[in-house]
Amino acid sequence: MKHGMKSIAIALAALMGGTAGVGCSGDENPGPLSNVDALIILQRAKRNETGDVFEYTSYLPGARLVKLSPPSADGTLTPICCDQGGPDFRNIDISSYDISFDAKQIVFSGKLAEMGHYGLFLLNLETNAIDELPTDPGRDYISPIFVPGDFIFFMTNAVVEVGGFQHEDEYERRTTTQVGRIKTDGSMHELGPRHLSHRVYPSLTSDGRVIMTQWNHLGGDNAAELMYMDPDMMNLREAFGREGTGAANSTIKPIEISPGRFVAIATARDRTVQAGSLIDIRLGTVVEKDGVVSAYERQAEARATYQRLSPDVPVTNNPSADTVGRFYDAYPLNAKDKPDLLVSWANGPVESQILEAANLSANFGIYLYDSERQTRLPILDDPMMWDIFPRPLRTRTAPPFIGSAIDPSLGLAAEIGSLNVYDSTMKDFAPGSIYGVRIVEGYSSEEGFGETFGVTMFEGQSVMGIAPVLADGSWRARVPGNVPLHLQAIDKFGMNLMSEPVWFSARVGEARMCGGCHEDRTKAVVVDPGQIAAFSRPPVNARADKARSDRNSDIFTRDELAGVPWDRAIQPVFNAKCVSCHGQDNTAGIAPYTITDPVTGESITLAFNLCGRDVVAGKCDGSIPNANIGGQDLGNELTYSYLSVMGLDREAVATGGLVMGGNYRTYANPENSRDSFMIRLLNPVQQWPTQNPNIRAFTTAPHMQGKGVDLTPDEFNALVTSIDLGGQYYSRENNPSLEQDDN
Amino acid sequence: MKNLSLKLAAVAFVALGATSAVAGVGGSADKIHAAINSRSVDAIVAEIERAENLACTECVDLVATLTAHDRVEVREVAAWWFAKRRSLHKAMADQFLVVLASGDTIAVRNAADFLGRSSTFRALPALRAAAKRELGPEARLAMVRAVKHMHLRGGNEVLTAVMTDKDARVRAAAANAWREIRKQENAAPVVALLGDASPLVRAEAATTIGGLRDRAGVAGLEALVVNDPDATVRRNAAWALGEIGAASSSVALGKASGDASGLVRMTAKVSLGKLH
Repeated sequence: MKHGMKSIAIALAALMGGTAGVGCSGDENPGPLSNVDALIILQRAKRNETGDVFEYTSYLPGARLVKLSPPSADGTLTPICCDQGGPDFRNIDISSYDISFDAKQIVFSGKLAEMGHYGLFLLNLETNAIDELPTDPGRDYISPIFVPGDFIFFMTNAVVEVGGFQHEDEYERRTTTQVGRIKTDGSMHELGPRHLSHRVYPSLTSDGRVIMTQWNHLGGDNAAELMYMDPDMMNLREAFGREGTGAANSTIKPIEISPGRFVAIATARDRTVQAGSLIDIRLGTVVEKDGVVSAYERQAEARATYQRLSPDVPVTNNPSADTVGRFYDAYPLNAKDKPDLLVSWANGPVESQILEAANLSANFGIYLYDSERQTRLPILDDPMMWDIFPRPLRTRTAPPFIGSAIDPSLGLAAEIGSLNVYDSTMKDFAPGSIYGVRIVEGYSSEEGFGETFGVTMFEGQSVMGIAPVLADGSWRARVPGNVPLHLQAIDKFGMNLMSEPVWFSARVGEARMCGGCHEDRTKAVVVDPGQIAAFSRPPVNARADKARSDRNSDIFTRDELAGVPWDRAIQPVFNAKCVSCHGQDNTAGIAPYTITDPVTGESITLAFNLCGRDVVAGKCDGSIPNANIGGQDLGNELTYSYLSVMGLDREAVATGGLVMGGNYRTYANPENSRDSFMIRLLNPVQQWPTQNPNIRAFTTAPHMQGKGVDLTPDEFNALVTSIDLGGQYYSRENNPSLEQDDN
Repeated sequence: MKNLSLKLAAVAFVALGATSAVAGVGGSADKIHAAINSRSVDAIVAEIERAENLACTECVDLVATLTAHDRVEVREVAAWWFAKRRSLHKAMADQFLVVLASGDTIAVRNAADFLGRSSTFRALPALRAAAKRELGPEARLAMVRAVKHMHLRGGNEVLTAVMTDKDARVRAAAANAWREIRKQENAAPVVALLGDASPLVRAEAATTIGGLRDRAGVAGLEALVVNDPDATVRRNAAWALGEIGAASSSVALGKASGDASGLVRMTAKVSLGKLH
């Protein structure tokens, strides 16, 4: 790749009408870069294959790190990496980097050849030497940042679980990256607890925490949002994007402007070359002092706000307009209300399909962006390269070191709990209404699922255990460490009262107590073991001592149930107790419904039918329904019973603009058994603390009364749990790949 | 930016009002068509993902065509799309199983990528048989990808068969994939590859032996970490010795700690500290 030494878009500067000084000699206005002697900039070969915001494997040789001094259009550009490394570095690509606190080192993620992986390298700016950090050569390590304590925090697809496989995004198929850290001397390589999907773009905050982008995928939620984590990979907390506060589907590349305030890129998940619009996020109460606007106090996701700093730039993947373009990243130079930013920006649509069709690539260059006037002053634009991640080469103050205690007595487990589950910003619980907390493990297609788990868009889920809530609202449980979990508050009938709307995980040996059940995030959590009932007894063992391969169960009783395989845990109940009336002959006489494609007039008719793939004499022939209409597969070739209860694929119905007519009814609401028609009709019995068939959840007469044999308490529990876990057809227990022998 | 504007005007037809990017929502045959016409791998992949639920005849035809695309990313997303449609998947898989037995290199490549990425586990016997056929590296690399994706030990025989391929990329890919098999007990077939003529293969073999912590590879790794002319091989060998942790490796790793290459030094030092 031929590097142009400099290609400065002077003409463009005039067009933009920018006037802010960039530190050029003779400029009376010192400008936001006046105290910066030099910039470090990453130059990568231009490409179009990084549309997905989580893409990290793209490789094209020819990257380099350069220093621009002074940081202006007429500055001198000096390559600093990696020709000095010799032939081994001839074909390197570099995906990101960070400068140490003392500005004497750079850590970068680099890949030396097509057949290889991204590893971590340290560049000594005084000796010019490059040393590779000792990471697994068979895995990728990306997005390194320096954090206090001589650690480097990174993202990697290496797996913390011995013998395990990295989570794959079920719907986008890609292998996820997770958190890890390593000392700058190469020691203490540690991998952190895993999320169920992607984590990318960490950056350090002034209070010593790390903020990063996390793809949250729980049921219908599909968005890249910001999360906080301590540098030791503990104390994960939501930061921005949920609870209706997000600016776009994906918020990426957050960099702190001032405490509690961040500049980030808001964009669509795909086709935008990981670029988008600039947003200024304020997580707490906004205060202004001496020209510095910050938002550190009372940080809470629900109260977070943002401002669009580039309002013309789309936050979707709609092509951007000429002269509007998209921003790849931004670095704040001050904390004014409308800050000055170093940005990487490209003109044009910055949308992969249009670019490729025109045989073009986005051309990112470095600019000084005045967000008050929304003007750009060009600093560097090599037309052959992406010029990205401009950072001042200067010392910075290291934030405080944050470290939490690891409890070695926990072994491979972690301990979780809440002080008072009734303390919640999301729901007002009636006193005494919560029996316990259902602890649920999540997994994805990496366990061999070749298809979706069902029609409801939930991932694979498995019950780890139920932790009773004690008199003061507290609870405590031991869980498998490093495993994605989510929690549900349940009543004495085992029905979900509220689902924590996010996956979280705790590091092996980590003990984390929440204040409540998604409590006010501005409250300090004070744990006083002498005052909290949960500490007066041993924690519930929520399969904490089980390996992944053992965290399942073929026994579907209340106390043994893990996953709920529809064909094995639910269908036999239907076959025995339901299909006599709700078989293919529909002797119950429930009116059918139709699905119509309004464009073609084509329609199909389906009726409530609880048959599965089993043949039940005179009632079920083992066939599955044809639910293809209007170009949509509404049933994913699952059974009549599953589709009758869980409904047709709702996204497909919406996508196809299909019209439901007749007696269409949703019998089960995923994650909400309590309000599910079927459950209200059946009227489940008490599960906790003891199963009692004489105590019903609702005052109405149970459906089975006078019609046949009622469900047993265990059968009720399986049905309720199936719905509350999202209503999936598949789980570990009926994983299609398990049918395959290793032969 | 004049050139940019002119070129974009010429392809304005592809701007079909892209909507918010949520997988599985908003797909259409027209959008897949436009993405294919643009030749953008990124756009094709995005639109197939978005068409997760689409089952129109035109979509089936379009996606079926993509199973023979020249880019593996596209072939893989096409297989993923079919994997969600049981009947269609079965029909396609049946055809591809036949291809494995009789197709030419490119046809077998496409078949293996489809069967692997769609987790068609019943294809393992056919893949094992195909691995013994005289086929080009494209086909054999695809077979390795297929086995690697399935993670099943039934694929081991495919990997061992192609570890003798004359193309170093194939041997290296097989060495790499060996580590990705669920419940893989040792790296025995890979140990022999430590003496391969290609540094690419030696590097991958070292990584796999280290990843599986197979002590049978210690002697070979100790020789490589000191003597191999390729720095990446020495580096991977140093890492592998640290993972295995045999005390006997201290001499070799001690020497490697002073390696002239920055790729090797720190890894060797850290591995030295891991020895038991």
